[in-house]
Amino acid sequence: MEGLMTIVKEGWRYKGSGNVMWMAHRISGLGIMFFLILHVFGMSMSFFNPALHEIMLETYKTPLFAVGELGLAACLVFHSINGTRIALLELRPEWWLQQKKATQYSLVATVVIGVPMILIMAMASINHFVK
Amino acid sequence: MKLHLKIKRFNPEHDKKPWWGEYDLDVEPGDRILDALHEVKWTLDGTLALRRSCAHGVCGSDAMRINGRNRLACKCLIKDEIKNGQIVIEPILGMRVLKDMIVDMDPFFAHYRSIMPFLVNDTPLPANGRERLQSPEDRQRFDDSTKCILCACCTTSCPSFWARGEYIGPAAIVQAHRFIFDSRDQAAQERLEILSDVDGVWRCRTAFNCTESCPRDIKVTKTIGEVKEALRTGVIA
Repeated sequence: MEGLMTIVKEGWRYKGSGNVMWMAHRISGLGIMFFLILHVFGMSMSFFNPALHEIMLETYKTPLFAVGELGLAACLVFHSINGTRIALLELRPEWWLQQKKATQYSLVATVVIGVPMILIMAMASINHFVK
Repeated sequence: MKLHLKIKRFNPEHDKKPWWGEYDLDVEPGDRILDALHEVKWTLDGTLALRRSCAHGVCGSDAMRINGRNRLACKCLIKDEIKNGQIVIEPILGMRVLKDMIVDMDPFFAHYRSIMPFLVNDTPLPANGRERLQSPEDRQRFDDSTKCILCACCTTSCPSFWARGEYIGPAAIVQAHRFIFDSRDQAAQERLEILSDVDGVWRCRTAFNCTESCPRDIKVTKTIGEVKEALRTGVIA
């Protein structure tokens, strides 16, 4: 808990390039984990409690979850691209000089892949709810 | 030139939480941050507490956050750090503040000691009774990690360390690297075992804050990567 408080109170203010990416990676990872827990729980309810499963499926169709889905897509795109960058730098320590460039590339790739994807999803959701 | 120095102050004996001390000084652009801190301590407010010893970037005592990033106060010039006439000084992060800039370094040195920071070689000395010789290439292999002055700039800039103080931290890994890759040392496997612990080298998330903050320009993340590689492949080369 002390560590979390250090990060929440002061860590985000540290002016390094790494801590911002580290935090973004953690937050996106937590977002994906939250989805996975909800998903596994929901699917298991189809066996253990079909009525609850139905309620959950209906809830997923609400605008709140449509927005959550956009967040999930953003988390997935960023986390996978940034994770690849981290894995590559771990496997090849001698590439350390390229780290700033690699960070910039992963952010650009997140925007290039993520923004059109989210726009397409958002348009589909808007069409669904406006109808 | 005029300098407005904003220093995060905290004395646990009477402060419930940290507060900002603000001081206006006349300084030379080529003065170091440490000179400005001395000016405050010696002429404006004697209660300011900070560590410093050699004042020339060798002892590593005066690590602190200067304008939001870890630096040695004795190696930073005011002209390089001043922004809008102001410089902000805070203690390094992730360690318990004892007073103002002074933090409790005991856990840091405990991590350092845990990796056995000394040469281990039980074989008899050479016949002439003198030192164990090493080729220039073998010496070069760990040259970078010998530069560490244990200032804690790297460890306290690491988000993994902020999140979990038990993490051994970049400085201890750099020190371990210095011996693991030393051709004369015989305890590399033992050190690697210590570093493969749950709070060892795998807690590094390759954030690179350590490399950016090192006042000795050690390639810290690369060094940690080499230790990970040695653990992964079992090859120390």
